[in-house]
Parts: sequence; structure tokens; C-alpha cells
Amino acid sequence: MGAPAHSLESLRPLGDEELTEWEEAYAAVESYLQALRIRNRLLVAELVRAILWRAFERRKSKPETPARLLAMEEALSVVAEWTQDVLDVPLENRRLAARGRLALLLAGMPDQWQGIFLTPAPWPRDFVEAMRRSYLEAGPRFAELTMVPKPLELNAIGSGAAQWWETMERKPIVRIMSSAALLLLLALAGWYLFLG
Amino acid sequence: MQTPAYLPPGSASPYVDPHRAFMRRCVFFGTALVIDIAAVLWLADLLWLSGFQKAHFPLLAVFAVLNGLLVLGSLHAVFGAYDMLRKRKTVSISRLADGVSGPLERRHAVVMPVYNEDSARFCARLEAIYRSIDAQGHLASFDFFILSDTRDLDLWVMEETAWTNLCRRLGGFGRIYYRRRRTNENRKAGNIGDFVRTWGGGYEAMLVLDADSLMDGADIVRMARVMEAHPRLGILQTPPKLIRGSSVFTRLQQFAMRLYGPLFIRGLNFWQLGSGSYWGHNALIRLRPFSESCELPALPGSEPFGGRILSHDFVEAALMVSQGWEVWLAWDVEGTYEEAPPTLADHLARDRRWCQGNLQHLWLIFARKLPFPTRMHLFMGIMAYLSSPLWFIFLLLGTWIAYDRYSSKLSTLPFENYAWRWFGIGGITQSAMLVIVVLALLFLPKLLALARALGSRAVRRSFGGAVPVTLGVLAESLLSMLLAPCIMAAHSVMVGSIVLGRAVGWSAQTRDADGTSWSDALRIHAFPTLLGTGWAVLAWRVSPEFAAWMSPILIGLVLSVPISVWTSRARYGQALASFGLLSTPEELDPSDVMKLATTAKAAIDPVLDATGIARSGVIAAVVDPYVNGVHVSLLEPAESSPDDDALAERCLVEGPSSLSKDEISRLLYLAPAMLMMHRAVWLRPADAIHPVWARAVESYRRPAAPAEAA
Repeated sequence: MGAPAHSLESLRPLGDEELTEWEEAYAAVESYLQALRIRNRLLVAELVRAILWRAFERRKSKPETPARLLAMEEALSVVAEWTQDVLDVPLENRRLAARGRLALLLAGMPDQWQGIFLTPAPWPRDFVEAMRRSYLEAGPRFAELTMVPKPLELNAIGSGAAQWWETMERKPIVRIMSSAALLLLLALAGWYLFLG
Repeated sequence: MQTPAYLPPGSASPYVDPHRAFMRRCVFFGTALVIDIAAVLWLADLLWLSGFQKAHFPLLAVFAVLNGLLVLGSLHAVFGAYDMLRKRKTVSISRLADGVSGPLERRHAVVMPVYNEDSARFCARLEAIYRSIDAQGHLASFDFFILSDTRDLDLWVMEETAWTNLCRRLGGFGRIYYRRRRTNENRKAGNIGDFVRTWGGGYEAMLVLDADSLMDGADIVRMARVMEAHPRLGILQTPPKLIRGSSVFTRLQQFAMRLYGPLFIRGLNFWQLGSGSYWGHNALIRLRPFSESCELPALPGSEPFGGRILSHDFVEAALMVSQGWEVWLAWDVEGTYEEAPPTLADHLARDRRWCQGNLQHLWLIFARKLPFPTRMHLFMGIMAYLSSPLWFIFLLLGTWIAYDRYSSKLSTLPFENYAWRWFGIGGITQSAMLVIVVLALLFLPKLLALARALGSRAVRRSFGGAVPVTLGVLAESLLSMLLAPCIMAAHSVMVGSIVLGRAVGWSAQTRDADGTSWSDALRIHAFPTLLGTGWAVLAWRVSPEFAAWMSPILIGLVLSVPISVWTSRARYGQALASFGLLSTPEELDPSDVMKLATTAKAAIDPVLDATGIARSGVIAAVVDPYVNGVHVSLLEPAESSPDDDALAERCLVEGPSSLSKDEISRLLYLAPAMLMMHRAVWLRPADAIHPVWARAVESYRRPAAPAEAA
């Protein structure tokens, strides 16, 4: 558990509006920690309290900013900065925040390392190594082969049929005439065989 | 036989002497031809007896084709039985792996193309295969690829999380890979082709699976050994067994395939030898010749007859064989499985795709350089669907002739024919003999398979004993007779619609369903029902005797709706299973890899889950910190434009339902947009974002204690 930086004696009375506002901030931060699958109630309570105190301090200079926004900004940045420290890579863009969350997942944070989540260095070597080698590789190194379609070589009957078929597709009049001729042929055959 | 392109001449001789293969084909197809010609002459003689008329010509022509196909089918079983009796003399390519041990010399890939599938289920199968190969100690020789062509955006996200969990649990990073194509050009063939072009050079061969495929690790290793032992081998196909059927329809199919299948498979192997076919999955393919020979050419014209080839597998085998590579059927590989469509309606929906694909092969019949066995494969594939309209025409002609005879009131005095003149056989005996021969051809494979089961203790016991297997054959025969006319009518409509130019789309295959509803069955089977009813009235008007002759067909047509519904019900299938009816060896005693697949759960982990009630798929990719992290990490680097930012903002405020699928897809490909949206849904108050995001955020809250909730 962290140090008791704020004892009960330091508490001051809070108004209804303030209570509601910070209750909402609390719920949001707690939800985010739940989303990170931090399940231990004591740990969650400690982390939420620490994050809310940081937000509370910032509120003094930004009284117009909603408490929830400040608290969640703190939550997101504290996680991103901590994973950056563990990974030992600069947080150049937001994409690394995703990299940090991925590393937490792949290192097994939700199951194994909850106790050290957001704690200052030094961290267990196994944990740091697990974090640093965690990345997704969707495919191995390219080993290309070429696939070039070879045209279909048809015999005389096939070539003739293909030519006729393509002509029918290009020229609707040929298609209509061919269909009509075929139907006529079928009708004649039917008449000859069955009625003639 | 030519030597394949990059093999030095004489470096590897064919597995079977070409002269021997030629003789086998002559015997097989010669026998079929002789029997067919004899049956056609017999029928012509019979028709002559009652007075030959012009309508008998088309009747005889159609009979020649249909009977030829029937004879071919039956002969497969007969030659299969003969091959089984020869035991050690039978040809088996898999024997090349006998006695070979030690590590594999080359690296191989296991590839599973998926399209809008249940990721938990296909990952379970892949996990079982992975563990099964691992148990053989050959994991180092294999890499695994999930090749996604999934278009459903929610399923895409679920695939990513399922794959990540699979790798986390199995330690499979760097061995199990996931790739999703942005555009699924040329469907499954294009998906496999994309893999070959990108990674094919790193492997000797690829084991192609379907999303419902399952294979035993020991058999996979054995197949890889065969591939390494025979340099001329291009494709090694296995005969998959149907498993996990719960409805009456699938139990029927898997029982029939399991009991009768081995005979047909052995008969097929008897004549095709190294000029076999490829059935699209559960096959090992050598990559270099595949890349050199199997990029599919476009067919003349456009779909449905031309354009892109839909049924690529037969054609790929044909192209391989035409280049001198051997394509073999490893009939003795046991641990190879797949699942079947659960209902008749689903079966027909799949057949619609296959029908169009197979009819496209008409062009290839006229291709140069294809050897005779390859043309026969293509021909039989085409006739699998064309035979239905031919059968329909045959029945129509028969009805017309009966009606014509009835309405003309002509004399029924017989003419003298050859059967009477040469053998002293009367008309009734002659027609009875023809009927017996046709029925024998129809039922001979079933009887041979039953005889094999009853005669072999191991086979008999594997099906649950003599009584269940005999009752199973009776039930299967009866139900198949009822289903056949409905399938004939459906296939005839399919062929008709394709001839009229209606192309088919690419829909995901149904793997599991809780039966067909009555309304769906009425819609799907309205045509056969009306046709059967009208035909029954006409047949009765011709004569009650004729109606009785036609009744096996007409009953199936008239009852197609209730038959379709009844056979689709899993509860009736379970009832049959409880009596041991239509049971298969795999159901009664599942193999180790099947048990592994049943218990495999590595892809499911609540820590990384994109299937939550308020946060599934795309919602989870935005809201959940881990799902978002996985998704963004798999994206290519990209910058978002002001338009993209505006789109993301609209998605946040108006919800994903206000965006088109293309717009959501665009956002899902943009890492900056996905990260911005992830931050926004957590930073903004509930009233500043669409309720769908607020609900997803809220769903992570620890449930309130009962007193607090009260």
C-alpha cells in the first residue's frame, strides 16, 4: 500500500455538486482500471485515489475543467507514461500508448503483475523483459514467389466457342439472334419428336 | 509423361509406371462403356417391342448419359472393393513415409483461409492441430497462418483477439500468424494466392485447410514426409471424414460418407493414380510448382460461365498435372475431417456456388494439354450438377411417352424384338431385368459397403454393431430416396438460372443452425412441391400403374418441405443418436485430435475479449484498452486527414450505426483515428458521446453491491 499522504484529518467538507462530480470521476477511473482488468479491490481503490488526487491538484489551476475529464486524462497519461518507462522507449506519438497497453496484455499483466502496476522502478526483471519483448508479428519475413496467370489454351472447338461467346457478350443483337435460333431449334425438335 | 519444369530429367520417376496406369484406366472406363452400351441397347430393344417412336430417341440419348454416370459411380465401389481385397498389392502413395523417422528436412505451412467465420471455433481447430503436431515433436517444421478474407467488421476484430489469445496461450507468437486482406479479390483462390506470393518462398509445401477442417498431427507429419520423399508430387489430397453432425441431414451425410466413402475413394484411386484431383482443402501442396502453374486464368466471357474461376481446386490440380506434376489421393490418411452444412437448405445454398463453379469447367474440357484422367475429373464434376436436369428431362420424356400412349389408344400388341428372337425373353421379363440392373447399380455400393462392415469385425464394431449399421443403411437409403427428387429439382433450377445468366455471390457458409423454419422451407422448396403435386395429378390421369411407377419420385417432390424441415432438426438427430442410428466411428469413439478440438479454449480469454454484450467487435476495438491496443498494433502506419478526423467525430457523436460499412472500415484502418476515439470515449462525459459508447464504458463498472443497488 502507498504512504498515507492524506490522513482523515486533512479531509474538508464537500458540497453536493462537488460530491457528484468527483463520484463521476471516481467511477470513470475505476471503470478504466476495470477495463485494464485490474481486479483487486484494494489495488483499484489505491490507484483511483492516487489518480484522483493528481486530478484534484490540477483542478486548482483549472477550476472550469470537469473533474471527470481531468481524472481520466490523468489515468490515461499515468498508464502511458508508466508503460513508456518500463518499455524504455520515448512516447513519440499516441500509437505508443497502444503499444504500451499491448505490452501489458502480452506480458500477462492482468493475471501476474497487478501488484506492481503503476509502481515506480525498479520492477522485477522478468516483468520488464516480458514487456519489452511483447509485440505482435502478423507474418514472418516476406519470402515471395511469383504467380503469373497463363492464358487458357483452348483447342479448335473451345477457341471457336470462346470467340462466339465473347461476340455474344459484346453484341447484344448477336446474343438475341443466337438465343432465338436456339429456342426455335428446340421448338422444332420438340414439335418433330412429340407432335409431328 | 513429361518431367516437371524444375526437376532435372530422370531425377524422379513417376510413382506408378505410366503403362500400368494406362491399363488400369482402360479396364475401368472400358468396363463402364461396355455396361452402358449394353444397357442402352437393351432399353432400345425394349422400346422397339412396344412400337418405336421418335420421342424414344431423346429418351435413349438421356438414358445413355444417366446410365453411364450410374455405372461409373457403381464401378468406383466395385473396383474399390476389389482393391480392398488385394490388400498389400493396392497402390498407396503414403507408403513412401513408412519407416521414415527423424526431423523433417523442409519447412511447411499450415494455412487456414477464413471468411466471416466464428473465430472461437476455427481457432479451436487450429489449436487442436497445433497441439497435435507438437505432440509429434515436429512443431519446429511448421508455421501456421490464419488467412482472413472476412468482410464483417465485428468478426474481423474478434478474429484479431482470438488469434492473439491463441498465441498468448500456446506461446505461438512467431509461429502462428494472422493476415487479413483489405480486398478479397478472387475469393478463396486469391486468398491462397496472396499467401503464396507473400510467404510461399519460405516453405516447401502448404497444408490447405478450410475453416471447418481438422487434421491429426501424425498424419500431417506423414504427409510432409511423403512430399519430401517424392519430388514429383505436387498435391497430396486426403479424403476428409464428415464430423460433428447433429441434425438428421448431416448425420445422414456423414454416415453415408463414412460407410460408403472408403469404397469410392479406393475405386477412385484405382484409376486416377498420380493424375488425381484437389478438393480445395485438407491437402498438402508443393508451393513452387503451385506458384508456377496454378495462377488461374480468366475464362472467356463474364460470369456465370466465364470470368474468374469459382471452383479453383479442380483447375489447380489440372494445371499441376498438365505440367507433369503428380496429384495423389492419400486414401489411407485417417485423421482428416471436415463438417457438412447442417440442413438441406444450407446444402443447396452451397451447391449453388459449386454448381456455377463446376459448370465453368466446361471451358476446360476443351483446353489443350490436359490428360485424360483430368478431363474425366472435370467431366464428372460438371455432370454432378448437369445430371439433375437430365434426370428431370428423362422423367418428363417418360411421362410424355406414357401419356401419348394412353391418349392415342394405340394397340399394345408387341412387336418382335431381339431379346425374344435371340434369348426367348418376353417383354415383362425384359423390363424387369432392366429395372433390376438399374436398381443393382444404384444399391450395389451400399450393399458392398454393408457387406464389408458386416464381414469385418473392426468395421462392424466401429459403427456400433451389425444391427445399427444395417438399420443405418436402411434408414439412409430410405431418406436418400426421399431427398433425391428435391435435390434434382433444386439442381435443375440452379442450372437453369445459371444458363439464364444469373451469377452467384460469395456468402459465408453456415456451420451450425437450429434447423430450417417452415416459412423458409416453403420458400425454398415451393417449386418441387408444386411440380410434384401437378405431376402426381397428371400421372394418375395417365394410369394408376404409371403413378405407382412414378411414386418414389413424386412422394419426394410433394413432401420436400416437411422432409427439409424434419431432417434439419438437431433434436431428431440426437434422438437417432440415442438409438445408435446413423452413428459413425468418429461419433462413437472420437480421435485424440477431435477431443483436443472439443476442449480447445485458448482463443477465449475474458482478459482480451471482443464479444462482450455491450462491447463486441468494432465497439470493443474503440473502447477496450487491450482490444484497441491489439487492433492498432496490427495496422500499417497511416496518417489521418481532416476528413478522417471529422468522420471519427461523427462516429463518436452519432454512433457507428450512422456510418456506412465503408466509412467504419476506413476508420478501423486508421491507427490515429482509433487511438483518438479510444481516448475520447473515456475522456468525454456520457452525454457528449453516442449512447452506444457510453454503455460500453459503463459495462466495465464493477456491479454495485445488492444493498447499494436497492
